Amino acid sequence: MNGIFAVIFIASCALFLFSNPDGFLSAMLSGGQKAATLSLSLLAVYCVWLGFFKILERSGLSEKITRHTMSATRRLFRSDDKEALSLAGENLSANLLGLPGAPTPLGIKATKRFIEGGNDYAADMLFVLNATSLQLLPTTVIALRLAAGSALPADIFLPTLLATLLSSLIGGTLVFLTRKRRKKPALSREGRAA
Amino acid sequence: MKWLSLIVPALFLAVFIFGLVRRVKLYDCFTDGVKEALPLILSVFPYLAAMLILSALFEESGLAKMVTDFLSPAFRLFGIPPEISSLVLIKPFSGSGSTAILSELLTQFGPDSYIGRCACVAYGSSETVFYISAVYFAGLKTKKLIKPTLIALAANFLGVVAGCLLCRIL
Repeated sequence: MNGIFAVIFIASCALFLFSNPDGFLSAMLSGGQKAATLSLSLLAVYCVWLGFFKILERSGLSEKITRHTMSATRRLFRSDDKEALSLAGENLSANLLGLPGAPTPLGIKATKRFIEGGNDYAADMLFVLNATSLQLLPTTVIALRLAAGSALPADIFLPTLLATLLSSLIGGTLVFLTRKRRKKPALSREGRAA
Repeated sequence: MKWLSLIVPALFLAVFIFGLVRRVKLYDCFTDGVKEALPLILSVFPYLAAMLILSALFEESGLAKMVTDFLSPAFRLFGIPPEISSLVLIKPFSGSGSTAILSELLTQFGPDSYIGRCACVAYGSSETVFYISAVYFAGLKTKKLIKPTLIALAANFLGVVAGCLLCRIL
């Protein structure tokens, strides 16, 4: 990341120097501005969902849900950490349902626990599944198509679903194939069910 | 598609009523949850800020355009129309930037054209990889972060390739 940061930063800095030196600081400030506003809107989203998830947890409902997803998530993430698995399972469900903003706080917490437990494989798997857009309904796209006057706004549903399933599958498989081998014999097969 | 908007309120209603039945103190519990929001934001903020400043530089310096022009012939080889190559390249960096490009493409080519549909599928089937990696792996050793980020980028790219192909068939 340090390398990428340095290369992109220096290259764009040099470009600005030759083409548009006045634009440099304003570009950086616009990035900072985005970070500030995005953090505030994320804070709003987290307030809502973290409050909601706490009730889900205290009422015992989250445990009930986890009991159903546990066998699948345990195999998927190769972990026995119940709390992390439950967070990860809820993260995947929130992704599938397309609840805006809900997966992120769950994902961050689960990733932290996985890494603290020394399970990089699980953290990578969770990240890749999140970063390959595991979503059943592309709501933003459908709204944009409607706004642009599409005759069939939901027409892209099937190709999008197939493409995103494929990318998640490829991502998951790559994580699985590039994992560090452990001493324990590998579990039989990768469980892709969320 | 109307029932879609029912999901969130129905979910909250069900969970809150279930909490009441289980005698959860809803107010205390909700505030306990919200307490975690600020530390969570604080822990990801520095990485978010660095990432977004870098994305802004990348886009506004014209570097993004140069990379796009350089790569679009290669993209064509994979069956990705050159018109949407900037969308495919910006998406990993910037959600708002790619949304702007998508709506531009939709007005320019029409939402039901091949280009328009391809753009929608490319947008819908990929994610803002760098942003998610900055947030999820906040504070982690960078060496650990390269492999999953590369995998996610490759998987997203192949998803877009498949999506453009599917748009031709379906």
